[in-house]
Amino acid sequence: MKEQLLEIGKKVVEKALSMGFDEAAVDVRSTDSLMVKFANSEPSVIQNWGSTEIGVYVTKNQRILGTSAPVSSLDDAYKILSNLYTMHTQLPQSMLYAPLPEPKKPDPLPGLVDKHLIDAINEPSNVSEAIVEAVNRYKIDSFAGMFQATHERRALVNSKGAELFEEGTFMKMYIRAFAGEGSGQWSLGSRKLKIKEVEHVAETAADFAFRSRVQEEVPPGRYNILLSPMVAGNFFNYIADMALAHSVLMGSSIFMNSKPGDKVAAEKLTIEDTPRNAELPGSTSFDDEGIPTYDKPIIEKGVLKTLLHNTKTAAKFGSQTTGNAGLIFPRLWSLTVHRGDYKFEELLSEMKNGLIVTNNWYTRLQNYVEGIFSTITRDAIFIVKNGEIVGAAKKMRIADSFPRLLQNIIALGDTQYDMYWWEVDTPTRTPYILVKDLGTSKHTA
Amino acid sequence: MTWKYEDLVLLAVEKGSSLGAQYVEARYHKHSRSSLAARNGEIIGAESSVSEGVAVRVIAGGALGFASTNVLTREGVQDAVQKAVRKAQAHSKLMKNPVEYSHERLGRATYEVNELVPFENTSVEEKVSYIKDLWKQVSSSISTARVATLTTWIGESVEEKVIANSDGAFIRSRIPRLSLGYNIVVTLPSKGTIQRFFSHAGSGGYELLKKWNVIGYLPEDTRKFEQIILEAKSPPTDKPVDVVVGSEIVGLMVHESSGHPSEADRILGREAAQAGKSFIKPNMIGERIGSEYATVIDDPTIPGSNGFYLYDDEGVPARPRYLYKEGKINEFLHNRWTAKVFGVSSNAAARAMNYESEPIIRMANTYFKPGDHTFEELVEGVKFGVYIKSYMEWNIDDERWSQRYGGLEAYLIENGELRHLVKNPVLELTTKTFYSSVDAADKNLEFYAGTCGKGEPMQGVPVWFGGPNVRIRNVLLRVIA
Repeated sequence: MKEQLLEIGKKVVEKALSMGFDEAAVDVRSTDSLMVKFANSEPSVIQNWGSTEIGVYVTKNQRILGTSAPVSSLDDAYKILSNLYTMHTQLPQSMLYAPLPEPKKPDPLPGLVDKHLIDAINEPSNVSEAIVEAVNRYKIDSFAGMFQATHERRALVNSKGAELFEEGTFMKMYIRAFAGEGSGQWSLGSRKLKIKEVEHVAETAADFAFRSRVQEEVPPGRYNILLSPMVAGNFFNYIADMALAHSVLMGSSIFMNSKPGDKVAAEKLTIEDTPRNAELPGSTSFDDEGIPTYDKPIIEKGVLKTLLHNTKTAAKFGSQTTGNAGLIFPRLWSLTVHRGDYKFEELLSEMKNGLIVTNNWYTRLQNYVEGIFSTITRDAIFIVKNGEIVGAAKKMRIADSFPRLLQNIIALGDTQYDMYWWEVDTPTRTPYILVKDLGTSKHTA
Repeated sequence: MTWKYEDLVLLAVEKGSSLGAQYVEARYHKHSRSSLAARNGEIIGAESSVSEGVAVRVIAGGALGFASTNVLTREGVQDAVQKAVRKAQAHSKLMKNPVEYSHERLGRATYEVNELVPFENTSVEEKVSYIKDLWKQVSSSISTARVATLTTWIGESVEEKVIANSDGAFIRSRIPRLSLGYNIVVTLPSKGTIQRFFSHAGSGGYELLKKWNVIGYLPEDTRKFEQIILEAKSPPTDKPVDVVVGSEIVGLMVHESSGHPSEADRILGREAAQAGKSFIKPNMIGERIGSEYATVIDDPTIPGSNGFYLYDDEGVPARPRYLYKEGKINEFLHNRWTAKVFGVSSNAAARAMNYESEPIIRMANTYFKPGDHTFEELVEGVKFGVYIKSYMEWNIDDERWSQRYGGLEAYLIENGELRHLVKNPVLELTTKTFYSSVDAADKNLEFYAGTCGKGEPMQGVPVWFGGPNVRIRNVLLRVIA
């Protein structure tokens, strides 16, 4: 497979150069994936995907053009490339152009492939049965969710001489359980399949559902809120996305008016982009420009350390690439929020009175530059009084601003969890995070 | 036009049946896309891509199996069919309620949407010139605040499908779509920032660009954003007021709080871990949800619409669906599975985003039925209130009950007249409160384009949502501080 994908990449690069393009980079990706989706405590659909696709980046006289196509339609891809070549004369030079960098040899990242996950793609029913069994250990009414296993092989070839290959597997899963008025949800992203961890996801969801089965109204206002890793993962996906250099360029970032070195968060917070953590899906040894990746803090002890760049945005900002290149724009790989030293019970003691929000969705911004947002909770919210959980609350919104939230972080848990689901699109390792005086809201009628 | 890969689609249906599947459906699905992106009038780059493959869905052993491939050979497709059947069968022991489909009169038809101004007749130079001109006019439209960024993108797409299933459907379709989107940031550092994301989209060709007239209205909107920064005051939040809700917000509200909760698969819990459940329960047809003015229709057959289709991806002929009718819950959105469960006929709501997606229940073009007022009459009927014309932030809970919209352009109304601008009013209310509080709607019907997300993996499908301006009585507003 490795030679086959590299060969396709080389062929397309050669073809693009022979057409007259100055530069070409080709990403060839072959994916096998399986997903079992559950609803009403039974499988609702078993989905399988197989594809081999190319993504192509080409330039001519500083014009940037691109295409993607299935490998089975390489002739179609050549036709598109030929049309793009004809089109380039009508385009002005790109405001983002910079030459492709000289390739460097990345250090291989071991441990990206797990045979158990490859087996699960072919025969998933054992995992499905383990999920059904684990979630039913609790007194719940029903559950829903999904388990996905993916095997991906990726080759990168470019006209600067990069010829790189990487193979990896990953799993993504989440379970949502329902009991009475309550529900609970938990997720996991991993490069390896461990049935114990799969069961833990199912059990956590069921436990939250059971413990929130009776709920009371809590009035909106400012609360000390303990964000579960599900919620923290969602928020830090947004915040890290805003650290991508093109988000700043395009007017979609709270960092538009900040520069590296500025204090943007409480000192306790350090968040890193961690492509070299082989345990997290998203890890990789090289980016789409053939540059070796490395782990780097985005915010370190509350200080903005760097925006995330490819060579194009780096040139625009007078900076260096951070090994975050996608074919055109920079991208996140995986995120890690450093853990603190608080045990879970200590977080509740520190909070004294407040809420534990275990899950949220539908985070939307009124204004990306000012970071004004609201999000609505789903699943268990636990009420904490005098450092103890005393009940469960009905749904509400968190409505505040990201800059204020970052400044108001007062404690981080000592255990990290690996989150990856619908609302945590970039795999994120994070502990529970305690934020003081966070705004909440509810419907008025 | 010529239709490719019909043979592979028919082969897939035959192969699935021979492997013992009770139902087999195959779809060749292709998207050809081109786009151009710019920032502040400067081009970033151009892209052109193709995505195509065959999707196969089967019922085997009472379980639903799906597989897709972009290896467009007989072997590639047969392999996908085998995977779908084999893995569905392997899960049959976990099925408590075997999947079955309703009997329907399925289509055998071919249809196309034609562009009046075809994509290939509009040169890249014309598009570049349009983008540069837009930046020039927008950036020079204000002088106190400044336009920090105007990001613009133009997208063309052509969607082609060939669908067949073992119950006799055979549908071929081709739908071209154009879209134009922008993100504008207007800022005056000492006073604040206003941001607006917006996109236009519809089925057709470059004739739509003229119709949308972005160059005509965006400079004026930009002046309004500057005015909001400079002059807008706090909205009234201390007591309930009347609110004229702009059609842009009404459109989103009906999509979120009528369309989504009416999806029968949500009602049955199939999306419970993703987009959630619904406040509508299976036995709620006929229950009151709003006033007599609250009628919400979802209609895939509107010519030129973003959500246009004549047959769904299960081969069922499309028709308008009256979700709420004169204030009552009237009809759910069905595919053939939910139709079977509810003992009704499918109303053709099964759509798939691309060849890698299973068809699931989706909206098409959802709108609030216009009333008989003029906009002026709506405002004249308000002694003290707020008109909220547009929004930025919004969300709704996973049962589609508690919803929130952060106003962008909004005005105080006093004694039947629009007064000064108000900043960041928030409409945060339940679905029932909204529909029950409507006492009038105007005659205007405006549609807005969106990409609706649902499913796992997430499927984004093109939709329109719209409506008239409507008046609601006696609602307490909030404000973003």
